[in-house]
Amino acid sequence: MIMKMHTKTIHLSAFAMSAVLLAACSGPQVRYGDAKAVETVNANYGSTDLQTIAEAMTRSLLQSKAISGSKDAPIITLADVKNKTSEYIDTRVITDKIRTQLMKSGQVRFAVSVTEMQNQTDELKRQNQSGLYKNSTIAKTGNMQGAQYRIEGSIASIVKNTKDVKDVYYVFNLNLINNESGLLEWADEKEIRKTATR
Amino acid sequence: MPLLKKTFLLCVGASLLLLAGCASKPPAAAPEQAIVGRVPADPPKNPVIDAEALKAESKSIAVTDIYFKKEGKNLVFIEETRHKTNNNVTSIITPKTIPVDADKADTSALTGGANSSQFPVKFTNLADPNSTAPVVTPVDPQTSSNSSDSETQSSKKSGYESKMEYGELRYLANPIRGLLIKSGYKVVQAKSTVAMPNQGDEYFDIVQRIKAGDFPDANYVLYGILTEVSVTDNVDDIPGTRSSSQQVTLEVTVDFNVVDTQNNQIVASFIASGDGKEVRIDGKDNNFKASKAKLMKLASLDLAEDVRKNLAAQNFITNNPGSAGYERNLKRRLDDDAATLKVYK
Repeated sequence: MIMKMHTKTIHLSAFAMSAVLLAACSGPQVRYGDAKAVETVNANYGSTDLQTIAEAMTRSLLQSKAISGSKDAPIITLADVKNKTSEYIDTRVITDKIRTQLMKSGQVRFAVSVTEMQNQTDELKRQNQSGLYKNSTIAKTGNMQGAQYRIEGSIASIVKNTKDVKDVYYVFNLNLINNESGLLEWADEKEIRKTATR
Repeated sequence: MPLLKKTFLLCVGASLLLLAGCASKPPAAAPEQAIVGRVPADPPKNPVIDAEALKAESKSIAVTDIYFKKEGKNLVFIEETRHKTNNNVTSIITPKTIPVDADKADTSALTGGANSSQFPVKFTNLADPNSTAPVVTPVDPQTSSNSSDSETQSSKKSGYESKMEYGELRYLANPIRGLLIKSGYKVVQAKSTVAMPNQGDEYFDIVQRIKAGDFPDANYVLYGILTEVSVTDNVDDIPGTRSSSQQVTLEVTVDFNVVDTQNNQIVASFIASGDGKEVRIDGKDNNFKASKAKLMKLASLDLAEDVRKNLAAQNFITNNPGSAGYERNLKRRLDDDAATLKVYK
């Protein structure tokens, strides 16, 4: 009888160990989520903020007189969006998203921005100065188009903490500036408030 | 009763005819806008010269080569040593001439300017008789010897002599001739002129040349005087990159006039410029040298384009009749011409 009990215990232990090992080998569970879903993991700047800001700014910009009233699609370039918050925010992602949405509208054209100039000059140098290309097919130096407008702005935040509450207020400003006249042709802002409680 | 019916039918027929007549009439012209203080425009006194008219009238034009006047300055040292022995005088004059840049000379020691170290000589205009009067330096025991029967004097003078060079540039006018041919003119060859010794500004006297018969078959003469030629070589960083751009630019500015050979009237007058530019990325790192021939070609083509714009703006040549440019030129001419003052009522 004792012998029988002992054998049963050994069998159960072996089964339990096998189950644990199998579970360990299967790895983390991965699933796709909705990229547009509201993200509320914490009160920090997140994907929902990025999407909200980009959508609001694009809509407002497309309704501006400088763009909607222009006969030809005006040429715009991206300038800096300054991060004045205490967080690390890649502001380039915001302007890139706005640029993508504006381009999809077909109402504007974009010239390469300062951050993309290295690739542009490298390509022109390669085509014009290497002597390898057929003259009639070369993208010639000196024919780049200047942008009529530039987009620049800033993102700032006010953060307040108590023991149980964290309140974050973001304000995103965007301006459209006429490069020749220096006039501010359009400006708008998007405010976001997020409160996290324990 | 039949009479009444006939009368009725006749009336209906007449009414239909009248209606049909009215319907086929063109719409009545809108009454001219009543503007008090203006009269209908007279035809312009100098009608716009268009390509068709030119073809019909076979107007011809001579285009001279571009005249230039270059001022040169030579720095001159004259050292004279005079040796007198009894009744014999021997004089040794040692002139020395150094060509200098006129601008540099002007801003040199004379003005205490930036080039004073390069030209450490006080300049004197040798054309001025006062400045060239004999100057005898005081006898220096080291430079002269004086005894009872011999005497040595040494004098030194320095100054600048100005010289003017007149001529014609042979390579800038051909694109301009080409555009005039395209616009309908018959371009005739202009006789070239050669500057005489001691030539003055009469070299530019086009009326004298017209009278002398230098352009016998031309209705008009287009002539230009070179105002300035400059070559710049600038290197600038390209923002946002590790590269720089070297820009070599040749710029020419020319003063143009078009003269009617019949009455010597200036029918167009303007200043035009053209530039040829070569841009090289990171050129300074590779000691890039721009091709002067290419720059000259680009500059002359650009100059011709500016000439075309100016001639069109002054209605000497037009864009195609009916085009926006043609209409604009015509409108501007009518608006600007005091003789076409209009009073509408």
